[in-house]
Amino acid sequence: MSQSQNASRAKALRRPRPTTADPPLLGYAVSLLFHGALVAAVIIGFRHTFDVAPETHAVPVDLVTVTDRTNVRAEAPPVPKPVKPIVTPPANEPPPLPQFQEAEPSPDITAPKFKVRPETKKEQTQDFAALLNKLTKDVKVPPKNAKAGPRTITGIGAMNGMTADLADALKSQIYRCWSPPVGAPNANDLVVDFDLQLNPDGTVASLRPSSGTAMAVAGNSYTRAAAEAARRATYQCQPYKLPGDRYAQWRDVSPLRFDPRELMGQ
Amino acid sequence: MKKLFAVLAVAAALGALCNPALAALQVDVTNANPQPLPIAIPDFVAAGPGDAQSGANIAGVVRADLERSGLFKPIDPKAFVDHIANINTVPTFANWRVINAQGLVAGDVVMQPDGQLRADFRLWDVYGESQMTGQQITASPGDWRRIAHKISDAIYERVTGEKGYFDTRIVFIAESGPATKRAKRLAVMDEDGANPNFLTNGYMVLTPRFNPTAQMIAYMSYIGAKPRVYLFDLETGRQEMLGNFPNMTFSPRFSPDGNKVALSLENGGNSDIFVMDLRSRAITRLTTDPAIDTAPSFSPDGRQIVFESDRGGSQQIYMMNADGSNQHRISFSQGRNGTPVWSPRGDMIAFTKVDQSRIDIGVMRTDGSGERIISSGWEDEGPTWAPNGRVLMFTRTLEGGRGAQIWSVDVTGRNERRVLTPGNASDPAWSPLIQ
Repeated sequence: MSQSQNASRAKALRRPRPTTADPPLLGYAVSLLFHGALVAAVIIGFRHTFDVAPETHAVPVDLVTVTDRTNVRAEAPPVPKPVKPIVTPPANEPPPLPQFQEAEPSPDITAPKFKVRPETKKEQTQDFAALLNKLTKDVKVPPKNAKAGPRTITGIGAMNGMTADLADALKSQIYRCWSPPVGAPNANDLVVDFDLQLNPDGTVASLRPSSGTAMAVAGNSYTRAAAEAARRATYQCQPYKLPGDRYAQWRDVSPLRFDPRELMGQ
Repeated sequence: MKKLFAVLAVAAALGALCNPALAALQVDVTNANPQPLPIAIPDFVAAGPGDAQSGANIAGVVRADLERSGLFKPIDPKAFVDHIANINTVPTFANWRVINAQGLVAGDVVMQPDGQLRADFRLWDVYGESQMTGQQITASPGDWRRIAHKISDAIYERVTGEKGYFDTRIVFIAESGPATKRAKRLAVMDEDGANPNFLTNGYMVLTPRFNPTAQMIAYMSYIGAKPRVYLFDLETGRQEMLGNFPNMTFSPRFSPDGNKVALSLENGGNSDIFVMDLRSRAITRLTTDPAIDTAPSFSPDGRQIVFESDRGGSQQIYMMNADGSNQHRISFSQGRNGTPVWSPRGDMIAFTKVDQSRIDIGVMRTDGSGERIISSGWEDEGPTWAPNGRVLMFTRTLEGGRGAQIWSVDVTGRNERRVLTPGNASDPAWSPLIQ
C-alpha cells in the first residue's frame, strides 16, 4: 500500500464513526408524536366537514304549471355600462430558483446493519386490511341486553339532511300515544329526554332517560309524571314503521325529547 | 416500513373514532294527544265474607273519583279477563295489557277486630311491570268513603305529580223554592256530592267560606234584614256574629293560617277592606279609597291580598300587601273583572269577567298576564279553587230563570262538568284537604 493510502486509512480510523448498535428510539417517539399531531390537526381542522345540515322538515310541494301567458313583461334590455378595460398586469418574472450547492460528498459511512426487505404490494394491503378490521371491531361494543340488529357502517351518509324524514316519521307515530301532564305550573319542568334503541322490527329494545332527566325526576314530581307519560307513550305506540333498509339510521334515537311547552302555550 | 405501519395505525385509530355513522337520530316530540289514562280498578278483595260489599263500594268510589277528574278512564270491570285474588302477588301484566290498561289498582279491605276498617292497595304500572305506589289506610267504618277518597288522592298524586283533592268538602248555598220566593240554606257535602248536610234553616245566606282547618265557615247572612258576617263552628254547631259593626259586613275570607278574617265593611255607600284578628278581635283597616273595595283573598303565604275595586271607574282586580301598602291594579283587559281568588298553589288568580253580555270564569297569573277564559256558560261566576290549585268550581246560572247550579272545570279549561247537588245550588267554596 502506498503511504498516502495508509495515511488516509489511519485518518479514517481516527474519525469518529456513528454507532450502529441501537436504533434511535427517541427518534421514533418524536416522529410518531409529530405525525400524530399532524393527523389530529387535520381531523380538528376538518371536523365540520362531516356535520349534519340543519334539519329541515319535509314540506309538501305542489307542482304548478305556469301558463303560457303571463303578466310579466319582458324587461328592457340592460343598457351596456362602460366597462373598465382589463389591464393585464405585466407578467412577473418567476423568482430565480435558489441555486443548490453541490453538497460535499459525505464521508465514507457504512450503511446501517439492519436489513430492509422490500415488501411486495400484496403483502402491504393484506397487513393494512387486517389492521383496520381489528380496529373497527374494538370501536363500539353494543350493550349486552339489547337485542338490536347488526350494525352496518354506512360512513358519511348516516347523519345529514336525509334523516329528517325519519325523525318526522317517528314523531308522527309517537305523538298519538303521548298524554303529558299539562296542568303543571311550570312547563319547563315537563321537558324530558330519553335514549331509545329500536329493534329492526320497530319494537323498543331499550329506553333509558338521559342523565339530566333522571336527576330532574328524582327531585320534581311533575318531571317524574312527565317522564312516565313519555315512557308509556313510547311503549304503547310500538312497533314503529320505519324503512328497514335504513335501519342503521334509526336504530339509535338520542335524544328522544318530549317537549310540551308549545302545547301549553309557554 | 414498520414506521409507516405505526403512523397508519395511529391515523386509522383516530379516523375510526370520529366515524360519523355512530351519531344517533334526534327526535323532538312537540305534539301530543292528551287522553285520560286507561286504568283497571277491580273490586277490592274481601278478607272476610262481610267485607265483599265494602270492597265493591270502595273500588266504586275510587273509579268515580278518578273518572270525574277527567285525567283517568277506569275500564269497565266487565271487560276484565283476569282478576286479583291476592294483592301481595305480582299480577300477570299481559292479561291487563290486553284490555289496554296502563295502570292497575289491586286492593283489599278487612274489618279489623278493633272495629276499624282497613284498606290496602297497590298501583301497578302495566307497561313497566312495576309497582308505582302502595298504601294502607284505616278509618271507622262510617268513614269508608274517606278511605276511598284518600286512595284516589294517592293514585292521582303519583300519576300526575300534583296533590289530590278528593278528600275534601264543599260548602255552598242550597236553593229551594220557586224563583219568586227562593229559600237559601247553608249546606256542606263531600266533593263528590255525597253526604249533604244542611246547616241553617230559613235565613238568607251568601258567600260561605271554609277556614283552613275546615272546621269553621264564615258567611254573610241577612238576619234582622241587615247583612252581617257570621262564623259557624261545624263541630259545635255554634253560630257567632263577627264583630259588632253598625253597618253591612260581607265577603269574608280566612287568612291561610286561620287566625284572621278579611272582610268588607260598608259605610255610607263606600266599601273598604278590613282585617279582623280572630284571637284579639282587633280590627285593621286596609283600604281608604272612596270607591267600593271588596272581595279580598289572601295569597297562600298570607303576605298579599288580591281584591276587587272600582276606584278606576269600573270593577277591576287590585293587589296589595297584607298591611294595606302598595295597592296597585293588575287587571287591564276589557270588561269588568271581579271576585278574585288566589290559587292555593300560589301561581294563579281566578276571577269573574263581565264583558258585554257574557259573564265567564277566567284565570290569570299573579302579575295580571296570561289571562284565559276557562268556562263557557251563559252566566258563570264566583270561582273557588280545589286545594291542589288545578280544579275550580263556580256558580252557573241557567237562562230563563231556571236557577243556578254548581259546575267544575280544570284550570286548562277542559273537563267542564256539573257537580251533583240535592237541588239548585250556588256559591260553592272548597275546603282544604281534610286532615
